[in-house]
Amino acid sequence: MYEIWLALNIVYEIALGFWPALLILLLAWLALLAVNRRGLGAVPLSRLLLVAAGVAVLVGIALPVLTLSSFRNFGYWVDWANWFAVAAGAGGFAAIWLWPVMARRYR
Amino acid sequence: MDPSLVLNRRRWLLGAAGAGAMASLAAPAAQAARLKTQARIVIAGSGLGGLAVATRLTHMLEGARITIIDKKQEHNYQPGYTLVATGVWPVGKVRDRNADLQPAGVEWIQDMVAEFDPAGNAVRTAAGQRVPYDYLVVATGTHQDWGLIEGMDVTAIGQNGLASVYPSPEAAQATWHAMDAFRRKGGNALMTLPATPLKCAGAPLKMTFMLRDRLAQAGTLDQSTVTFYSALGSVFGVKPVNDNVVARWKDLGIGIETTQKLKAVDIEARKATFVTPEGVASDVAYDFIHVVPPMRAPDAVKNSDLAWKEGNFAAGGWLEVDKDTLQHRRYKNVFGIGDINGTPRGKTAATVKKSAPIVAQHVVDVIAGREPGQKFDGYTSCPLIVREGAAMLIEFDYEGRLVPSLPMIEPLQESYFAWLMKYAMLKPAYMAVLKGRV
Repeated sequence: MYEIWLALNIVYEIALGFWPALLILLLAWLALLAVNRRGLGAVPLSRLLLVAAGVAVLVGIALPVLTLSSFRNFGYWVDWANWFAVAAGAGGFAAIWLWPVMARRYR
Repeated sequence: MDPSLVLNRRRWLLGAAGAGAMASLAAPAAQAARLKTQARIVIAGSGLGGLAVATRLTHMLEGARITIIDKKQEHNYQPGYTLVATGVWPVGKVRDRNADLQPAGVEWIQDMVAEFDPAGNAVRTAAGQRVPYDYLVVATGTHQDWGLIEGMDVTAIGQNGLASVYPSPEAAQATWHAMDAFRRKGGNALMTLPATPLKCAGAPLKMTFMLRDRLAQAGTLDQSTVTFYSALGSVFGVKPVNDNVVARWKDLGIGIETTQKLKAVDIEARKATFVTPEGVASDVAYDFIHVVPPMRAPDAVKNSDLAWKEGNFAAGGWLEVDKDTLQHRRYKNVFGIGDINGTPRGKTAATVKKSAPIVAQHVVDVIAGREPGQKFDGYTSCPLIVREGAAMLIEFDYEGRLVPSLPMIEPLQESYFAWLMKYAMLKPAYMAVLKGRV
């Protein structure tokens, strides 16, 4: 439990550094959600998963470089697990944010 | 004013609402059990330890008068110094306004404790103010004893190949300038280690690994030598880590001298003088030298009755605390947190992370008339950078046992995950500790 609480706090403190941008993203997402609410249920899950996978791949490729490292420094499975978690998290975040955008086509 | 400080303040203001929301998640349990008291609590020092304990006490006590005494206006994230000194981070990432970090409801006296009077339950500041207390938390950190190295001039760091990560953010930045200049040409590099207890004892090792890596990146490794001069008899106090590092350095071509104490440095002539335990001195010419100062307790602690009077910690004047409870062994209303403690190991931010909740709880216990009931195991941690992009996440206790927080972590396995922790996650974790949340 402590490690989960610690991880939540780390994410929160990192987010504090991008507070204004995250607020704008949240407000924009809520507005898109309201405008396109009728099409939300019609967006195919497969499309959302495709978006999530695409963003996850891009983030996964970029992550080591963005953190001044490279795949050559991946030493054991814990590295791959964390890399996957960060990439998958970014993919999931992108899919959720783009969900109301995609819903526009199905209104 | 430094632009980074302005930005930091702005960020804090913008984040205030979010911080409040996060605090409300953490605070209820503590607030539910808040102890009513009119106790006067003085905290000497506002580094990570002092602030973390102060914040926790504000959550755990109702009516207490908590006073922090420290004159510094800038709070430095010292675990980030090695990243600044090796060109990984800009210096702004280790600098925050101290005023932004003071817990709400705590009085901040912007002065230094010049004298501890534990028999009189009071401290005296440099300006002469007497501040009485019922309970005292000593969090002064260490004193860097540069005067023990003849010819050393901290203001010359960055010039003539002189480097040291320890004194300040500016020194860390200047160290990177010296390292950057050195790696372009290569040459003879000396990395030193004194025999005294050190804060972040992994820093000299990280600097050595990173210097070697920077030389390799610049293509000047072939015309360079890197030698680690230790006065400790080893390079690190935890044997499995020491053995691992020694083996790695052997493979990397880094030389090791284990009985050589830096006695003097001639900055202009770029010459260092080392001395063996037998007193045999030798001069070594260098193109780059990383100097690690001997450390001890600040004078105010060392010269007080709070310091150890005998044993291994007496010479350095370290705070005489029980290593399990971090309560002073003779003055039961006094506690220690962080680097000042005369305990077997642990002068890192990770030590504070684990011990601040214990110290805060023990202060509350004593106020409530209970015996301190928790036991600190000496936990500390060192994300040991082995090159740019890879590190080892080493955690250990008083006994020198490797104690990974998560069972899947291999302490001696170099990894991207450990690097990612050091590069991107440990400062956020540090801030959460400082705010008393973890």
